Amino acid sequence: MDHLAELYRDYSDRADFLAVYIREAHPLDEWQMKSNVDQGVCYPQPQSLAQRVAIANDFTSRFQFPLPMGVDEMNDAANRAYAGWPERIYIIDEAGKIAYRGGLGPFNYRPEEARGWLQSRFGPARPASALNFR
Amino acid sequence: MAILLLTYSVLSHFMGGPRDVYGFLRYALPQWHRGDLKVGDRAPDARLVSLDGRSTFRIHDRLASRPLVLVFGSYT
Repeated sequence: MDHLAELYRDYSDRADFLAVYIREAHPLDEWQMKSNVDQGVCYPQPQSLAQRVAIANDFTSRFQFPLPMGVDEMNDAANRAYAGWPERIYIIDEAGKIAYRGGLGPFNYRPEEARGWLQSRFGPARPASALNFR
Repeated sequence: MAILLLTYSVLSHFMGGPRDVYGFLRYALPQWHRGDLKVGDRAPDARLVSLDGRSTFRIHDRLASRPLVLVFGSYT
């Protein structure tokens, strides 16, 4: 997630970003992870759109998550179209074609590959100093 | 039977415990799809709900003159 925030910081002046909040990977009523319990991140699998939206909002506010976000509807249409669960990155080019298809999380989820694509397209991230020092 | 038991105990050793093997098989495996999109395919569209819980937009609405980085994920 930090990787995503950094990617957004470095390239959102040249690319658009959209995060899609999909069905929970490890809700407490399914396969819960100890790491989530330790961090107090415990939610049942949302059964309504309102519950999904509420968790998406909790997430963005807790981490000050900078990417624009949309919530997948309860029919999981976006997730099914992209096989996004549990986490996955795509890059779509200006012609509306898949330009980068990231691997399936958690094992093949690699934000650094998406950074590599952006880097080869746009060059390295611009130095932050140019923006921050006045 | 013995082989099944052995597999299950090896898996629970590596996954953290017997509950994790059950969780994986019962909840993760059925959701885990490679998908058949390939580089060069037309990007599928879908309707999404904004964080206000009311308004909707489509993924294709966000396609413009720049590449779109599309990230799927959840909180847990």
